[in-house]
Amino acid sequence: MVKNTKLSSVYLFVVFVLLYLPIFYLIYYSFNAAGTMNQFDGFTLEHYTALAEDTRLLTIALDTVRVALISSLAATVIGTMGAIGIYFSRKRRTQGLLMSLNNILLVSPDVIIGASFLLLFTLVGFRLGFYSVLFSHIAFSIPIVVLMVLPRLEEMNPHMITAARDLGASQWQVLKEIILPSISSGILAGFFMAFTYSIDDFAVTFFVTGNGFATLSVEIYSRARQGVSLEINALSTILFLVAMAIVVGYYFIQKQQRTRKKILAVDPTNHEKAVMP
Amino acid sequence: MTEEIIVSFKQVEKKYEEESVLKDITFELEKGKFYTLLGPSGCGKSTILNIIAGFTEPSEGLVNLNGENAAKTPSEKRKVNTVFQDYALFPNMNVFDNVAFGLKMKKINKKETVEKVKTALRLVRLTGYEKREISEMSGGQKQRVAIARAIVNEPDVLLLDEPLSALDLKLRTEMQYELRELQRRLGITFLFVTHDQEEALAMSDEIMVMKDGEIIQTGTPIDIYDEPINRYVADFIGESNIVEGRMVSDYQVSFAGKSFVCVDGGMNPNEKVDVVIRPEDLTLTDATLGQIQITVETQLFRGVHYEIVGHDLDANEWMIHSTRKSEPGKVVGLQFHPEDIHIMRLGETEEAFDERIEQYASVADAVEKGGGVDG
Repeated sequence: MVKNTKLSSVYLFVVFVLLYLPIFYLIYYSFNAAGTMNQFDGFTLEHYTALAEDTRLLTIALDTVRVALISSLAATVIGTMGAIGIYFSRKRRTQGLLMSLNNILLVSPDVIIGASFLLLFTLVGFRLGFYSVLFSHIAFSIPIVVLMVLPRLEEMNPHMITAARDLGASQWQVLKEIILPSISSGILAGFFMAFTYSIDDFAVTFFVTGNGFATLSVEIYSRARQGVSLEINALSTILFLVAMAIVVGYYFIQKQQRTRKKILAVDPTNHEKAVMP
Repeated sequence: MTEEIIVSFKQVEKKYEEESVLKDITFELEKGKFYTLLGPSGCGKSTILNIIAGFTEPSEGLVNLNGENAAKTPSEKRKVNTVFQDYALFPNMNVFDNVAFGLKMKKINKKETVEKVKTALRLVRLTGYEKREISEMSGGQKQRVAIARAIVNEPDVLLLDEPLSALDLKLRTEMQYELRELQRRLGITFLFVTHDQEEALAMSDEIMVMKDGEIIQTGTPIDIYDEPINRYVADFIGESNIVEGRMVSDYQVSFAGKSFVCVDGGMNPNEKVDVVIRPEDLTLTDATLGQIQITVETQLFRGVHYEIVGHDLDANEWMIHSTRKSEPGKVVGLQFHPEDIHIMRLGETEEAFDERIEQYASVADAVEKGGGVDG
C-alpha cells in the first residue's frame, strides 16, 4: 500500500510538471533579453514595456473582455430561462429531447459551429466584426449555462413551488422569490463558465471575425505565425497571472463562506440562550 | 348553532389518462371541525387535498368552497393553506421570512406583518426563533414553522398532508395533542391526511376512511371503531377478530359453531355475515365458563397488556388483549357481551349501513335500558 501511494504521488507530480512546464517555460522567456526563445541572455522587462505601448494589442485585449462579459451575461439570462423552460416541460419525452439538442451543441466541434456561423452570417449578409463574434459567443455559451443551471433546478424541492403558490405567490413571484434564489449558485457558475469559454475560444471566433476586429486568441495565433515575438510571452504571462488571481480569490471567498457557516453551526443553542431569559 | 359548510364535494372524479384516482367522491366539511382522511398510500387522499388547494382540477363533479363553485378560483386566491409532508420550507429565508411569505405576497404592511408573524410563532410555541435559519431547526421545529407559515394567512381550511410522518414516535404523539389543541383554539377547519389509524382516532372529529379512490365510511372515531362497515375498515382501524358467521334472525347470530345474542338486525334470515369482536372486548376465563373455547398458541407481552393468539375448534383465529397471563397450549374460555359483537353485511353501502345501524341501535338501546328513554 505504502509503495502504491508513493508511486501514485510520483505519477501525479509528473502529470502536473507536464501540464505546467510549457507555461513556466513561456513565462521564463518573457524576461529574456535576447529577443528569441533559443537561449536565455539576461533579465529584462522590455517586452512588458513594449506590450504597454502596443495600443493595438491593448484594444484587442479590452475587446476580448468586452465580448466575454456581454456574451456571458446575455447567455446567462437566456440559458437560465431556457433551463427553467426545460425543467417545466412536464413531458419526459420533450425534456429528454431538449436536453439532447442542448448537449449536441456542447459536444459538436468548434470548427463546425464556427463554419456554420460564417455560412449563416454571409448568407444573410451580416457584416463580420464585433457583433458577429458577440452573437456567436452568446450562441455557444447558452448550452453551457443550461448545463450548469439544470441540475440545481432538479435538486430543488418541487413542493417549495407548490407551497409558494399555496401561500398566494403569482408565477412571477415564485420565480423571483423561490426559484432564482435556490438556483443562484448554478447561475453564477454558468456565468463564469461562459465567461472563460468566451475568453479562450479560438476556433469559432477565427471564422467569424472580420477585418477590423480580433480577439486575443486570434491575434496571438496570427502573430505566432509570423514568428514568435516575446511580447506574446509577456502577454501570456499576464493572462496566466490574472487567471491564477481569479482562482485564488475564488478559493478565499469560498473558504470565508464555509467558516461563516461553521460558526453558525457551532452551537445551535447559542441563539436560544440569547433570546430566552 | 348553524353549521357552516366550508368545503363540499359533489360526485367528484379524477382521472389521469385512463387511470381513475378518485371515484364519485361526495362529502361536506363544516366550519371549525377536525377531519381526517384515512387510507393506505395511493388511495387518492392526497389528490383530494390537491383539488381543494387548487393544484389539480377534478375531471368531473362540483367543488364548492364557502358555498361558491371553486372551479374558476386559482390556488393563490383560495383561502386554503397546506402543511406539506416534507414541510417545503424555503431554505434561503430565515424563520421570520418563511412565516411572513404569504403576507408579503399579499402586500400587507410591515407593522401588521410583524404582529401577525409574532402571533403565529407564539401559537406554535416558537417565540424568539425569528432570526434562525431553517437549516438550524430540528425536525419538530421545522414542522411548527410550516404550521405557522400556513396559519398566519388565517385560512378557512388548513390542509395537512401527513405532516407528522417524518417525526419520531414521541414527538409525533406530542404533536398530535398540539395540533388538536391548536385547531380548537383557532376554530379553523382542519383536513388531515394520514395512513396512521392511531393519529386519526386521537385527533379527529370525523374520519373518512378511503380505499382505492372511494370513501368507504365516514363517522366519528368511536363510530368507526365500534361499527366498522366492512372487513376492510375493521382491519384498517385497530386490531380486530373477524370471523365468518350467519344471521339466524334479528339479534341472533351464529359463529364458531354456536349461537349468540347480539344487538344487530335487519338482515335476511340465514344471511352470511362477518362478525367483528375487538381483542380488548374479550375476557379470558376458565374453559368451562367461556362462551367460546380456544387453544392458546402465542402470547406476547405488550406492556399495557398481553397479546394472546389462539384458535377455536372451527379454526377461527382469535386475538385477545388481556391483563391476565395465560400460557401457550392451554385451553381457555372467552367471554363477551352482546354489544361487543358487531355484525357486518357483505357488500353493504354506507347509506344502507347507516340507516340500519340507526334503526337497530336505537331499538337495542331501548331494550337494554328497560324499554323507556324519555326525551
